[in-house]
Amino acid sequence: MADLRDQTLGFRLRREWPAYIYLVPTTLVLLFLNAYPIAYTVYISLTNFGIGRNYFTYQYIGLTNYTYALTTGATTSLTLVENSFFWAGGCVALFLLVGLGLASVMNQDLRGKTIYRTVILLPWAFPAFITILVWANMWGYEYGIINAMLGTIGIHKVDWILGGADTAWVTLFVTNVWLSFPFYTVVFLATMQAIPKDLYEAASIDGAGTLSKFGRITLPYLMPTVVFVGLMGFLFTFNNFYPIYLITNGGPGIATQIFITESYSQAFGAVGSHPAYATAAVYSVLDFLIISALTMVVIWRTDLTRNWLK
Amino acid sequence: MRTRRARRASRIAKRIASHAVLILACLFAVFPIYFIAVTSFSTIPIAGITASILVPKPSELTLSSYDFVLFHYYPSFVSLLTNSLIFAGSAAAIGLLLAAFTGYALSKFNFPGRRTFVYFILLISLFPSFLLILPLYFTFKDLGLIDTYLGLIIPYSAGAVVFSGILVKNYMDSIPDDIEEAALIDGLGRTEAFFRVLLPLCYPILGLAAFLAFIGPYTDYAMANVFITSNNLWTLALGLYHLNSTDTGVQPYGLVTAFAIVMSLPIVVAYMVFQRYIIGGLTLGSVRG
Repeated sequence: MADLRDQTLGFRLRREWPAYIYLVPTTLVLLFLNAYPIAYTVYISLTNFGIGRNYFTYQYIGLTNYTYALTTGATTSLTLVENSFFWAGGCVALFLLVGLGLASVMNQDLRGKTIYRTVILLPWAFPAFITILVWANMWGYEYGIINAMLGTIGIHKVDWILGGADTAWVTLFVTNVWLSFPFYTVVFLATMQAIPKDLYEAASIDGAGTLSKFGRITLPYLMPTVVFVGLMGFLFTFNNFYPIYLITNGGPGIATQIFITESYSQAFGAVGSHPAYATAAVYSVLDFLIISALTMVVIWRTDLTRNWLK
Repeated sequence: MRTRRARRASRIAKRIASHAVLILACLFAVFPIYFIAVTSFSTIPIAGITASILVPKPSELTLSSYDFVLFHYYPSFVSLLTNSLIFAGSAAAIGLLLAAFTGYALSKFNFPGRRTFVYFILLISLFPSFLLILPLYFTFKDLGLIDTYLGLIIPYSAGAVVFSGILVKNYMDSIPDDIEEAALIDGLGRTEAFFRVLLPLCYPILGLAAFLAFIGPYTDYAMANVFITSNNLWTLALGLYHLNSTDTGVQPYGLVTAFAIVMSLPIVVAYMVFQRYIIGGLTLGSVRG
């Protein structure tokens, strides 16, 4: 009887109404600072704001910008799509490889384990914005410390950032791995340490070797974490602004440009020329559509929302 | 006999290989930080950097870069720091309050529309924050808030709300309802019970939420660069970026890295103090997968 009454809307409202009051500030903030700007971005993308001479008097021009981005500007759009996926996919692959590798090495009885752990976590303690700026200097062609060190072992200077797409991507990947591998190593190590020890003991008695233990016990146990962390890492890296903006700024040309950096540069980067606000908005919307679709996959493949709603 | 010896040899080889891998990882992790530290004590300009800077003679080390950055830089370091603390501190205070309220409502109430609300904040948080700069810029321009304290505090305060709200919710889930009920029996109202009993129990996660809400604005360049135009509102991040981008190769590179060290210091210290909570709080959700 009581259970049945619990279910009625009126009863729940009478008991749970204070929740709404606690949610009012957050809701207002999110509506004003997120929902409204998102709608505004969509609107700007449907105008000719900042394109050509229509700087102060812009008007609604329908889907013209989108048609342009998908026909005449298709080469640029396609490069942005490719680069965004290559950047996010490449980074996540490296994160998982380095993270899993280091975590499995650390997940054994070794002297000095705590020292290793503390040192490996150091990059994480420094604000990324600051360390990325210094990395950008370290990769410098003429005066970078990396080329200086390569010089001492007889390797000629490499023009990492402007020399070509390949080396530019190398600088980005190495820098981003440096920024992120502490997190991935710690997460995987924590998961590995939660695996019951008797599983390994039983496997040893059955004569299993190190590799087969890793494949049969560690990996299956880790899989949910790998999938979850990997997908979240992908979503985050897809829109990770600072490494690309501060190191290559999308160059050489637009070889390492991704949606978010191109959008920012279109709106605020073009010093002296007309800022192309509408173009920036179009790339924002395209970026959002891709990210939303990917998030659907994350929700479908993991129990993300179930975790949150429990 | 032979197999035992062979097994022992392979165990030692494995241990040596493990240490080698970890030492390499540590060198990789430390190198840029070491580079920042060692250059900050030297007077060599970036155009004069060679590999030998990595092993400086003690007599060559100097504090002159720190002296310049702290006392002779324009806009003054104190002004940059004050602005950063005003922006990030206010954003952290507001963000903390919002996260606490959101976490509480989601954790301790089963209100109609709860599922819809979670989907709403999830969808909203998807839109990359850097893409909000453009529309917010025009909105705040219309409101006359560009180049004001309020104009940057407001957009900063929403930065970590959704993520921190979920963190607080997860943490509160682990606090038994009995504790709240006991407080109610003792005669406290539900609001009082929240502020005086439940919230104090959440200090660790609230500390993390505040830290996360602080570090975003403290190190933000992209938004401040657009929203702030006058020198006297510049933040540390703008100052560092400016110092770095105007480096002509003549001034000591140590100016940039000394600035970087001083600016990082509060974050590194906070990180060391809260390390357990930060790692715990951030890995909790992931590890449970």
